[in-house]
Amino acid sequence: MLSMQNISMVYRAGLVETHALRNFSLEVEEGDFVSVTGPSGSGKTTFLNIAGLLERFTDGRYELDGRDVSSLSDKESSAVRNEKIGFVFQSFNLIPDLNLFDNVDVPLRYRGFNANERKKRIETVLETVGLASRMKHLPSQLSGGQQQRVAIARALAGKPRLMLADEPTGNLDSKMALGVMELISEINRNGTTIIMVTHDPELAKMANRNVHILDGRVSNGDIEVPLSKVATA
Amino acid sequence: MFSYYLKLGLLSIRRNPLMTTLMIAAIAVGIGASMSIITVNYVMSGNPIPQKSDQLFHVQLDSWDPNNPNDDGSFDPPDQMTYTDAMALMKAGKAYRQIASNKSSMVLVPQGDDERPFSILSRNTWADFFPMFDLQFIYGSGWDDAADYNMERVTVLSKETNERVFGGENSVGRTVRLAGMDFQVVGVLDEFHPVPKFYDVTNGAFNEPEEVYIPFNVGIEYEIPRAGNTNCWKPIDGEGFEAFLNSECAFIQFWAELRSDEEEQEYMDFLNAYAEQQKEFGRFPRPLNNRLNDVMEWMEDQEVVEDDARVMLGLSLLFLVVCLLNTIGLLLAKYLGKSSEISLRRALGASRSALFVQHMIESGLIGLGGGIFGLALAWLGLRGIEMLFGDMVENLVGMDWVMVLTAIGLAILSALLAGLYPTWRACSISTAKQLKLQ
Amino acid sequence: MEIGPIWRAMMRNKTGAILIALQIAVTMAIMVNAISIMQEKSRMMSRPSGLDEHNLFTIQSVGFADDFNERVTIEEDLAALRAMPGVVNAFQTNAIPLSGSGWSMGLQTEPGAEIDGTGVGLYFVDEHALDTYGVNLIAGENFSPTDITWRELVTNVWPGKTILTVAMAETLFPDDAMSALGKTVYINDTQPITVTGIIEKMQGSWPSWDGFERVMLVPHLLPWEDTQYLIRTEPGMRDELMPQVEEMLAETNKGRIVRRMRSMDEIRERAYRDESSMIKILTFTIALLVAVTSLGIVGLASFSVNRRTKQIGTRRALGATRVAILRYFMTENFIISLLGVSLGAALTIGLNILMIETFALTRIAWYLVPAAMLILLGIGQAAVLGPARRASSVPPAVATRTV
Repeated sequence: MLSMQNISMVYRAGLVETHALRNFSLEVEEGDFVSVTGPSGSGKTTFLNIAGLLERFTDGRYELDGRDVSSLSDKESSAVRNEKIGFVFQSFNLIPDLNLFDNVDVPLRYRGFNANERKKRIETVLETVGLASRMKHLPSQLSGGQQQRVAIARALAGKPRLMLADEPTGNLDSKMALGVMELISEINRNGTTIIMVTHDPELAKMANRNVHILDGRVSNGDIEVPLSKVATA
Repeated sequence: MFSYYLKLGLLSIRRNPLMTTLMIAAIAVGIGASMSIITVNYVMSGNPIPQKSDQLFHVQLDSWDPNNPNDDGSFDPPDQMTYTDAMALMKAGKAYRQIASNKSSMVLVPQGDDERPFSILSRNTWADFFPMFDLQFIYGSGWDDAADYNMERVTVLSKETNERVFGGENSVGRTVRLAGMDFQVVGVLDEFHPVPKFYDVTNGAFNEPEEVYIPFNVGIEYEIPRAGNTNCWKPIDGEGFEAFLNSECAFIQFWAELRSDEEEQEYMDFLNAYAEQQKEFGRFPRPLNNRLNDVMEWMEDQEVVEDDARVMLGLSLLFLVVCLLNTIGLLLAKYLGKSSEISLRRALGASRSALFVQHMIESGLIGLGGGIFGLALAWLGLRGIEMLFGDMVENLVGMDWVMVLTAIGLAILSALLAGLYPTWRACSISTAKQLKLQ
Repeated sequence: MEIGPIWRAMMRNKTGAILIALQIAVTMAIMVNAISIMQEKSRMMSRPSGLDEHNLFTIQSVGFADDFNERVTIEEDLAALRAMPGVVNAFQTNAIPLSGSGWSMGLQTEPGAEIDGTGVGLYFVDEHALDTYGVNLIAGENFSPTDITWRELVTNVWPGKTILTVAMAETLFPDDAMSALGKTVYINDTQPITVTGIIEKMQGSWPSWDGFERVMLVPHLLPWEDTQYLIRTEPGMRDELMPQVEEMLAETNKGRIVRRMRSMDEIRERAYRDESSMIKILTFTIALLVAVTSLGIVGLASFSVNRRTKQIGTRRALGATRVAILRYFMTENFIISLLGVSLGAALTIGLNILMIETFALTRIAWYLVPAAMLILLGIGQAAVLGPARRASSVPPAVATRTV
């Protein structure tokens, strides 16, 4: 699904070069659920940005779903993000003056679906996250957990092959966090590949395997100890 | 997608009403100020007779003083003609049509005892004046050539004069008393307000047309007092009106209708030949310097658009620039304030160009708002100008459809220009950073 | 003052600052040039006419009846006008100063058609004119009743006497204007006229003509059907007398119409309507411009304060006083405005040069530039005061709040 080989990312600020990633390599199989951990400044976020085609890298090769995405134009990478990738952010990033329906609608608009198709998909995904009845509400009228569900619905609406989650429960209390994690696991079970950045080892354990980033590389070679699949209650 | 962007634009405009109001106000004020001045300039520089302005030529002969040119700076020949030359050119009849004309003042005595006499201006001209300048009649028509040569006392009334004297009825065949003589009405004009009044800019490019028209020869024969400008470079030789007519005093505007370049060239040759011939009689002491200018060339030559109007135009456009700088600043603040939303849309698959279009549409909407309010302000501005300048500008302060569309177009264009940089900045925000930074 | 850090912070967010500075610069260029135009117009308007303006009015008489007798009518009219209580004096003339229509001729000090005469505004007058105008005769003498003759309708014969203004005398005799008295000058190339009087100041018919103050008075009555009277009243009597005069003239002769009765004040107002309107429009424009620019400063400063709320809180938490925060924003605006007015000074002068070349306008007075700089700096400080005060009232606790 995702294959990164010897990716390097160097930020230059004047004379100082900061290596956010150095010779970073990672393979993620279709249907996998990978957690990415590491201390602050280790390069987790850079990795996620590159994986999500939000940022370009300095060196190396990146294949997504069998396609080399190392050097796509803005239009092409926008299209890849739109069709193949779903994002879930720590702070939800819902657009405050759009209601739930319109928020989920955003990526579908850029996909160019017709009105019927969009409506069908929006209703389906909001059903999936259990918020179909509140379609006309504004984000501010929801709890944090509910907002994150909407964000997940938005990520799902485009039927992505890969979901990138950045601390999806970071802004939620533990009860809400659990609900959201259950939802993510369920999405994974339905076949979507998931990469989740977190600093919480407990959450990391819910993934199939964990990748630990230290100083811009995957620490101890390639893959960390596979974790046992966590059953959901 | 356009309607989606439109919806997003409106939503965004509603989200920040104060800022939106400021931006619309800034554009509206700029458009209002510049459009009121642009309108005045546009009307001043308008083509009063577009259908044939390139076939109508103002004729100038340089009959001036051997020692001093008519114009020390430009060496232009006098803009008016002497009686001797005008009559010679009329008699020669070398153009397809030609007319000499001048302006007189006279008293009109209405019939009926309780009506008071009043003073009016008349244009003394030739039969061809009416077809040449495409004048439309409500009743009757112009007079014929015979009337010119037989010095018939016939007259054409303006629509307003006919209303004043005859209550707007068909007055053709009736008599009107002008300058102490009876004139027979042969025609009544429809509305006629050429702006500029191209056929006599010497006596005021933005004056109203005269109230009545009489044959030129009648005006001369009965020595009806002239009301326009008269210029002489040489003392009149002798006493009496006859001496004046034979003098080097210029008071006549002369126009010729020439339908092609060949006709124009032939006519120019004719004028030069005439001047050469006059030199033999001891007239035309200056070097050969005759001119044919078509309507728009003549307007240009006479600088009918006043300097003050052009200065104001420049200042008002600079004013618009200030308003645009203002709008750029506000739009920049606004779009940068939306950077997290823009980044999010990027992550969800919006390309830069999609976001660019979205924000240009939003800018355009603000421009549309500014244009509509600006139009209202421009209208107010024109009323203000009308109030200040009074009757001097009454023909200059009307907005036609061209101006209305120009106002809206200029506003939208301005807003798009103003939106260009902020949009570019907003669309080139580092997406990744913004999403993390909450 | 902490100019260094403020400058560096500003440089990190240049665009907003540049926009404000540009706006101030263009505003200044428009403002100073507009004020300069206004000064020019008001200088033009404030030239004294030399007349007793507030007590003068004019009226036109147009005869039309078949039996209308110009000479008799004019003599009767003048006698009747001068006899009216409240009328100081009155005379018949061809044109009224400042009215926009009149006569001009050329005068020269040597005879000859090859000599370029000096253009001069010409009024036909009688011996009552000087008193009626209220002008000041500073040399020579007024016309006597015997000097006054009827002018033929079309003629090239000129009476032998004239009274000139100082401005005209000065142009003809640049070395000593007063030496013009008694000299012979030539009209119509060769006809001699003796200068018998010099008046201090008077104006011609066309305010925009460069020979506006060059005037000659010629002793003639005019046998014209269409003629004008100029009437001077006792102070304060003008408005009362105007309708009486109109009625008197209309009643005494039914073979004419009387029209265009205008006070000299109205004639002046009409003569300078373009100028006074332009002054009003420009004043309004400047006010609007300053308002737009101020609002722009307020808008952008508010935005900048909002954006930096957290930063301001942090500064407060670190010990900055309210005054220090206020001063920060005031200083920031001062720097931007200073850049703006400096650029503005250059733009102003550039625009002025352009206008001088294109429209023959005058150069701006030097003091306008520094004055406008100071005023705009003041306006900038006043505009930023509101947002800066809001910034200074941000509580330090904002620093610890997560947004």
